[in-house]
Amino acid sequence: MSVLHDTHVPFDRLVDYWFGDMGDADIATIDEHLMHCDSCGAQLESVALLTQGTRDAFAAGEVGAVVSADFVARLVERDVRVREYRVGPGGSVHCTVAPEDVVLISRLEAPLHGVGRLDLVAEMPEGATEHFPDVPFDAASGELLLASRVARVRPLPAHDFRLRLFAVADTGPQEIAEYVFHHRPWQ
Amino acid sequence: MDAVETGLQGREVVLARSIAVAAGEQAREAEAELYRLLAPRARRYGLRHLRDSHAADDLMQHVMALTLEQLRSGRLREPERILSFVLGACRLTVQELRRGARRREELLQYYGEALMPDVVEDDVAMGHQRVAECLQRLPERERSVVLLSFMEEREAGDVGAALGLSAGNVRVIRHRAIARLRDCVESGGVRR
Repeated sequence: MSVLHDTHVPFDRLVDYWFGDMGDADIATIDEHLMHCDSCGAQLESVALLTQGTRDAFAAGEVGAVVSADFVARLVERDVRVREYRVGPGGSVHCTVAPEDVVLISRLEAPLHGVGRLDLVAEMPEGATEHFPDVPFDAASGELLLASRVARVRPLPAHDFRLRLFAVADTGPQEIAEYVFHHRPWQ
Repeated sequence: MDAVETGLQGREVVLARSIAVAAGEQAREAEAELYRLLAPRARRYGLRHLRDSHAADDLMQHVMALTLEQLRSGRLREPERILSFVLGACRLTVQELRRGARRREELLQYYGEALMPDVVEDDVAMGHQRVAECLQRLPERERSVVLLSFMEEREAGDVGAALGLSAGNVRVIRHRAIARLRDCVESGGVRR
């Protein structure tokens, strides 16, 4: 790859550069370009700011997402306070959030073999539902790990809510598992 | 001609030459301007290669002090190659700091302390509420890829293995998601 003096590096390439998704020669070329191009430097700084902002948001319990078992294991290794609930298909669990909990994980065991697309539906106590289409998953793991928004869950009163998983195929969605969570405030 | 050398006619070279030929106080303004131009670039290099804002600050200060000292003393014989010199100094300094960081990491592991280094300083950090709001607006797949990528800064293959995605797919999702996230945050979190 060559980066000419007056040709800016596309944002996608700067993202790859930030994460190391390119060869050493390409990294060196962009290093050189950034040494004289403040426009591209500002773009790179925006990626650095988003990195820190995402870390801060997650640490504040403001981000919910599907995560991996390895990711959770590494949080535990770093002494991050993780509360985890494992529940099987058709199962239920009593759950809460302690004041010191930083991360709340729901580990949903599910028959994922052969599933091409997975949708998640959350049913709240008032009857409201939230639909999360096409969630990422590793079929071989046989489970889906959800990191909840701890800051939003912690102050909730006692309530029950359900999660449903749907395997989506050309023939339509088919429910493959349901889980019930009995939330109680920390006491 | 490499990309750095193409900066031959830039303002940096003019300033470097004036510092090299001036004496003492006469070069002060040129030094200050050169510092303002080059210090942020050295710091960006440090952020990318050291992943730690404090280490990036150390690198920036060391490289700029070295650069100005070399110019003042006349030991930087080709001021027109100022950008190449700064880049080379950054690379060498990163190697030295990494050796020091490895020692620090060994100590941290020994004492069981775990820290997630800050990438940027607090005073320039984006408000995490706004970032959180924009993250929550991303589709599930994109949010997971962004979260795992930024939290651990792993290559696309590692992130993909954790989420049942190919490395190529992760890169495509990551490009799209980070661009969306940036647009959302920079617009104040009001665009969808």
